[in-house]
Amino acid sequence: MHLKRFITLAAMAASICAVTATAGRGQDYPSKTVTVIVPFAAGGNTDAFGRLVAEQLDKRLGQRFIVENKPGAGGNIGLGELARAEPDGYTIGMGTVSSNAINQTLFKTLPYDKAKGFAPLSLIARMPNVLVVNPEKLPVNSVQELIELLKKEPGKHTYASSGVGTSIHLAGELLATKTGVKITHVPYKGSSQAIMDVVAGHVDFMFDNIPTAAQQVKAGKLRALAVTSLDKASLLPDVPTMDSVIPGFEATSWHGIFAPAGTPPEIVEKLSKEVQAILHEPAMKEKIESMGATPVGNTSEEFATFIKGETEKWAEVIKAANVPLQ
Amino acid sequence: MDIFSDLWLGAATAFHPVNLAYGFIGCLLGTAIGVLPGLGPTATIAMLLPITFGLQPESALIMLAGIFYGAQYGGSTTAVLINLPGESSSVVTAIDGYQMARRGRAGAALATAALGSFFAGTVATVLLAVAAPPLAAVALKFGPAEYFSLMVLGLVASVALASGSLLKAFAMIVFGLLLGAIGTDVESGTPRYVFDIPQLYDGLNFVAVSMGIFGLCEILRNLENEHERSVGVRKVTGLMLTRDDFRRIRGPVLRGTALGSLLGVLPGGGAMLSSFAAYALEKRVSPNRAEFGKGAIEGVAAPEAANNAGAQTSFIPMLTLGIPGNPVMALMVGAMIIQGITPGPNVISEEPALFWGMIVSMWSGNLMLVILNLPLIGLWLRMLTIPYHLLFPAIIGFCCIGAYSINNSVFDVFIMAGFSVVGFALFKLRFEPAPLLLGFILGPMLEENLRRAMLISQGDPTIFVRSPLSLSLLAVAVLVLGLVLAPSINRKRDEAFTE
Repeated sequence: MHLKRFITLAAMAASICAVTATAGRGQDYPSKTVTVIVPFAAGGNTDAFGRLVAEQLDKRLGQRFIVENKPGAGGNIGLGELARAEPDGYTIGMGTVSSNAINQTLFKTLPYDKAKGFAPLSLIARMPNVLVVNPEKLPVNSVQELIELLKKEPGKHTYASSGVGTSIHLAGELLATKTGVKITHVPYKGSSQAIMDVVAGHVDFMFDNIPTAAQQVKAGKLRALAVTSLDKASLLPDVPTMDSVIPGFEATSWHGIFAPAGTPPEIVEKLSKEVQAILHEPAMKEKIESMGATPVGNTSEEFATFIKGETEKWAEVIKAANVPLQ
Repeated sequence: MDIFSDLWLGAATAFHPVNLAYGFIGCLLGTAIGVLPGLGPTATIAMLLPITFGLQPESALIMLAGIFYGAQYGGSTTAVLINLPGESSSVVTAIDGYQMARRGRAGAALATAALGSFFAGTVATVLLAVAAPPLAAVALKFGPAEYFSLMVLGLVASVALASGSLLKAFAMIVFGLLLGAIGTDVESGTPRYVFDIPQLYDGLNFVAVSMGIFGLCEILRNLENEHERSVGVRKVTGLMLTRDDFRRIRGPVLRGTALGSLLGVLPGGGAMLSSFAAYALEKRVSPNRAEFGKGAIEGVAAPEAANNAGAQTSFIPMLTLGIPGNPVMALMVGAMIIQGITPGPNVISEEPALFWGMIVSMWSGNLMLVILNLPLIGLWLRMLTIPYHLLFPAIIGFCCIGAYSINNSVFDVFIMAGFSVVGFALFKLRFEPAPLLLGFILGPMLEENLRRAMLISQGDPTIFVRSPLSLSLLAVAVLVLGLVLAPSINRKRDEAFTE
């Protein structure tokens, strides 16, 4: 009953919007408040990037860009809302490697049309993870030594993650599939509990976001073996890359901004250009780098190609590692 | 002495006029959102986070911390007055606090909550100052196996939460465990009981469920019993505590503070778990245990002291290890990172002004809160004189806003509405809702840690008895179970609880 009424109302609203929106798209966009959906809880990385960019869009385009957090189901709820929104540029949203490249394979059903997808605006930032070990549980100093030890004692060692199917988990699966080692995955709800158990020595190692892990490394509680990006990370300049030991090993968590599929190309173009310009401002760059991330800011097409590659890469890992589908 | 120079440095930071002002703003905001049901400190801090970009790190964190413990004070107000817990940690306060209010002792209940919280806050702050690093080390000892054993003890002890039939209490715990099973399984990622509804993938929301079972359900009950309601509301006497009250709350506040300080250090449970535990403990040891559930002042004093102590000590893992134990602490970590300070084991030595400033500000914040809250009691009591036909729609309106604001989701509003009916049915069938909520919280933690421990031990169950900590927790659980099941005690228990 309620759902029915909601749909009729939404349809009515949509048709009214469609009539008004066709009048002058592009030039006078935006002429009213824009909603930026963040499909994760407030306070996380995606939320922080979303708020930083929204604040700047607000200043540059002279309209309010309001962030609305719609967390749940690994980002699917927020993306479902974004997909259902009128594609007129007045609702845009954030997306990540999990929500836009992993969930496509991981979830049997999604609350939106997977084939239709979204209109990518720009990749905001990429965050490398770092492979950290508990030095008392695993007396190794390099990735090579770690692999040797894991091969010598198959199935005996554990790695923690922030949950099944997260980029942190899949980085571990990538390690297993690329080197053939046997390791036990211990999932947690979120990475802070996971890293605590690695620090305490209940679990042997994990991949984690650099800012929090770097502090534990500095205090000598954890040992950093390698970062998962192709380039070294600015917060851990002495730590080598995974790629230098296992060629082609790349597992970054990335955060980008999207519009619903079917948004007029003029508006996609305009928003993409603005976001790119924002990400090339020195102050913004500095802020993002201080969070342990690399600012990007690419075009809509470049971002789309990037997502395609990521989706295929993670689909292979999920298949090879036999991760159960949800 | 080092500690004195450290505290002096902290005092210099915390009592700086600017920081004092931000601390006050935080406390005031915290009290306000604590009073509003559902709207919690997590959402508020998240919304205020961008504003803190421009502040000094000390001012920003002092304000955000003020919101957090201010909410612990404010949350008990609506719990006592209209049986609507403003925060998840004040769910237990509603049980006896509301009964006290119905007997005309709302003022005493609120004063008990404020004074108990202040005492606990002071003790926990001192504890934080002298023993933060060793306590953090204890928290690290709690791995999956130890958590599992702690949860077992919690579940066994929760039987003590229920008055009336033991069988009904078990039934409610099992019902709570089943509700807790809804959502995505952490170990395998498989969705359970979600019926392809994406909103159920993260499980039922505790705040929405408890607002339905307590708050909205109370309105249904009141609407049914118009006569009884008006009697309970008009009789408001005794604003302050009597000498007898002080004598009665002394023990519970001390025990609640101790329990809260310890449980608060553990990540995950924190303030909420400690309030449940303190209530259960009081119900076992109090000489007035027959009064529990009917307006025992001990039933307000202990959980209120415990949740404030727990809120305070939950800063320990965050400040000393850089590891947030709950969503609010995760937001504080976010605020620190934005300020260019990465929380970790080195914060104490690298940012002494910030660390000690925050600790001292916790005490000054608690002082502000008690000064703020005691005079406000009179004002809150006037709320009870508002005619119910005006109060009802307002409460329902606030509940809906609160439930919506948890995840910006209408779904949670429906969950709340649905559980008000469940709560009403339970009331009619004379089932107690408290064990249900405890089962709902403990169930998922129990299961998760059991399976995690088994993964780590490669399937070897002796992991639970190999760790001395886990073994002693299990031993206590067996002991408690023995006490509950022992026929003589069971008979006494029935005599005490059934009218």
